[in-house]
Amino acid sequence: MKTRAVRIRHALIVVWTIAMVIFVYLPSLSITLASLTSSRYFIFPINKWGLDWWRKTLDSIQIHQILETSLVIALVVTAISIVLAFFGALAFARYDWKGRSWFQKLILLPIFFPQSVLGLALLLWFNAIGLQLSWQTAVFAHLVWIVPVVTLVISIQVYSFDPAIEEAAYDLGASRLQVLREITIPVLMPGIFSGGLFAFLLSWGNFPLSLFTTGADTTVPEYLYAKMVAGYTPGVPVLGTISTVGAIVILIGGYLVMLALNRRRRAGAG
Amino acid sequence: MAGPDGVILYLKGLTKTFAGHAAVDAIDLEIFEGELFTIVGPSGSGKTTLLRMLAGMEMPTSGDIILRGEKINAIPANRRPTCMVFQSLALFPHKEVGANIEFSLKIRGVDPATRKRRALELMEMLRLPESYYRRAVTQISGGERQRVALARALAFDPEILFFDEPLSALDYKLRKTLEKELKDIHRETKKTFVYITHSLEEAMVMSDRIGVMRSGKLVQIGSPQEIYSTPNSKFVSEFIGDVNVVPVTVTGDRKLTSAEVPGEFRAPPIADGMKDGYLVVRPEFLRFLSEPGDADNHVAGKLYNEYALGSRIQYHVRVGEMTFVLEKLRHEAFQGKLDQDVLIGWDAADSIVVPDR
Amino acid sequence: MSERRITAGAWSASPVILFLLIGFAAPLAAIIVFSFMPPRTFGFGGQPTFENYVTIFESTTYISLLWSLGFAAMTVVILAFICYPVAYGLVRVFGRWSTLVTLLFVIPLFVSENVRLYGWLLFFIKNGVLLGSLKSMFGLDLESILFTRGIVLFGMVYVYIPFMLFPLTLGISMVPNETREAARDLGATRWQVFREVELPLSLPGLMIGSLLTFVLAVGAIAEAKVLGGQQIIPIAHDIEIAFTYAQNWPLGAALSVLLMLIVGALVLLVLRRVDLDRLLGRR
Repeated sequence: MKTRAVRIRHALIVVWTIAMVIFVYLPSLSITLASLTSSRYFIFPINKWGLDWWRKTLDSIQIHQILETSLVIALVVTAISIVLAFFGALAFARYDWKGRSWFQKLILLPIFFPQSVLGLALLLWFNAIGLQLSWQTAVFAHLVWIVPVVTLVISIQVYSFDPAIEEAAYDLGASRLQVLREITIPVLMPGIFSGGLFAFLLSWGNFPLSLFTTGADTTVPEYLYAKMVAGYTPGVPVLGTISTVGAIVILIGGYLVMLALNRRRRAGAG
Repeated sequence: MAGPDGVILYLKGLTKTFAGHAAVDAIDLEIFEGELFTIVGPSGSGKTTLLRMLAGMEMPTSGDIILRGEKINAIPANRRPTCMVFQSLALFPHKEVGANIEFSLKIRGVDPATRKRRALELMEMLRLPESYYRRAVTQISGGERQRVALARALAFDPEILFFDEPLSALDYKLRKTLEKELKDIHRETKKTFVYITHSLEEAMVMSDRIGVMRSGKLVQIGSPQEIYSTPNSKFVSEFIGDVNVVPVTVTGDRKLTSAEVPGEFRAPPIADGMKDGYLVVRPEFLRFLSEPGDADNHVAGKLYNEYALGSRIQYHVRVGEMTFVLEKLRHEAFQGKLDQDVLIGWDAADSIVVPDR
Repeated sequence: MSERRITAGAWSASPVILFLLIGFAAPLAAIIVFSFMPPRTFGFGGQPTFENYVTIFESTTYISLLWSLGFAAMTVVILAFICYPVAYGLVRVFGRWSTLVTLLFVIPLFVSENVRLYGWLLFFIKNGVLLGSLKSMFGLDLESILFTRGIVLFGMVYVYIPFMLFPLTLGISMVPNETREAARDLGATRWQVFREVELPLSLPGLMIGSLLTFVLAVGAIAEAKVLGGQQIIPIAHDIEIAFTYAQNWPLGAALSVLLMLIVGALVLLVLRRVDLDRLLGRR
């Protein structure tokens, strides 16, 4: 039985959380509104609604190129970080080995590091070893902090994984490779999947690392930033809305896929 | 082809050290074809390490593991003709009951139809309904999961099955049932089972022979009857459960005194040269006396409390700083009041004297 | 713990370790070396010198550093207060709605911070969503609060919500319900339960959250640029200027090293006291 005091406290928490959610989404709402005006300047309330700026933005070849660059970087980052982080997570959470606690701290360092400084350090490093800056160097830069994040995400799944099941498979005659293919990877799949989702989205939205490491190539956040400081253009809200809505769609889509996977696993009919 | 004298597994000076500490310390042991051998020991006694070496999941630091006359030290777990049932069971959570059971056959490239036939055969033997073949392992009960783990281990017809306390997570009633069931399956399959547990009670129920392990060494090996009635040390006698252990000094031919309990006691035959040791009397051999002469030995104390243990009743009697434990069958219950003065006693032949080891 | 597992662990860790050595340790080493190069040079060939550090201590750069540290500290404190009720709700109140609420707070992580800050700009700007509405509905004509110090702090608090919220949630979920009930049963008031049981037991989460927020906020740059209109020059901005407009890489490197020292000391201090296995849920 909940007492009156508890009910009031819970109600207050719910109200506060709703307020926080609104607070979190207010800027996205503002951007979306701003993208729906036909006039050159943003004046609220909007008197001329329209999709003109959407059309102009979507037709722009430059924008296509920028979207493509962002997409390619995010996909490559996702692929590489999943492989590295999968093994990293096993070392982080699954195996007992001498260097484990040392390794756990090492993994956290890039996450606990100001990204703008990291971007500059990488710029300096690329310059020192004579690498030409391009989208490839940006991929490398993104990986430096995304691999640790994905390692943590997969690690959480690894923690709930009974190490004995690998041993059992091995004991039943499986080779190391068969254990990996038949047991470890399928069991960790939900973690790998959410890790991949994180990798893609974090790369997609990253600004501070891209700023210093893309060279002549431009990602969406970089382009938006350049336009923002250069003065108002309604193309910014449009592209901002696209990248926000894109993130939401991918995340919710991914979440639904996960739910479906889990349900199938639980039902066991497959 | 059986090894010499029906020995299937022979351990010779088997040792495993971790950072200079011997978890398993020079164990010599013969396990016979078709027996159910249980290794009992408290946690940290090295029994799990020993089992993991036998299964091939740990490499011995020194010594040999000999299976049917052949040294198998260097053969890894996936190529040993043995199989382990894990404490957590380690069922594959992403595979169905059938796929779990068939796993070892799939790995060995057996065709699906044969695999399925074998799985269903095992499921029938273990009384798992056929409909469970496609059931998720996360959706069946604890006892059923136990049987799936056993079926999975039996599927490729291993020579020896190892059990790492697979029943320890279950509730008491189910554990009691499954202990007997496991013994029945042992009888059915005629395979060699090596079982480890921390519960001597569990070992008593199912084993042909028991080895008691302490600090990496096997301190006593024998049939359940031998372990129960003639433990060779204070450690083994206390491990069995409630028991009366009195520190004693040998004063003469079959004569004992104790610093804890007044009087001189008559003792069973004592090993030559023993000076100090422990007198061990099981609770069921202690009796309430009406006359001091009703038993070889007697002690006066106060009834402290009584406990109903199902078919038996246990009594605690305080004698000075010591507490004696007595057990009576329910229909022979002692009618006494708490704090009442009582006389208790036992016969010399029902007691043993063990060294402090 | 067998030898096999030791090697398996080290083997699995090696690709990541190798990558972080090349991608993280090496750049940091490069920036440290570079901070000792003569000003306005672009290679590692110069005679090592402390000149850049001397320049920093003689200039007014320390003001930027103090602003960044002060604002980061304020951000942490404000976030701890506004996130705690939500984190508590996620663990104890929302039940099956928790996943959805979590998702709602995760999404902004994936939208570039400058886009979200730009949204606030459109919200607060003159004739924007807020002031425009007030004007048309109530005839109020107010000054915009943009380009003030307060709005920079506001922006930082806004951007780093998830980084405080999620570690805090992990921390609170580490407090077993039974312990709280036991404390309550032993006669503790609601406040005493919080102070004596919940807060100490969820401290690892709060520490990780505070550390993460602080570190990210110290390096923050977009808030001041997008919302602050140069009212505040954060340290990261000074570093960027040194690397770009001023073309004085060694000076920028020296500033980065200072920032790294502060951040590194904090991180090591806090991480030494947190058991990651427990926080992330090893059973």
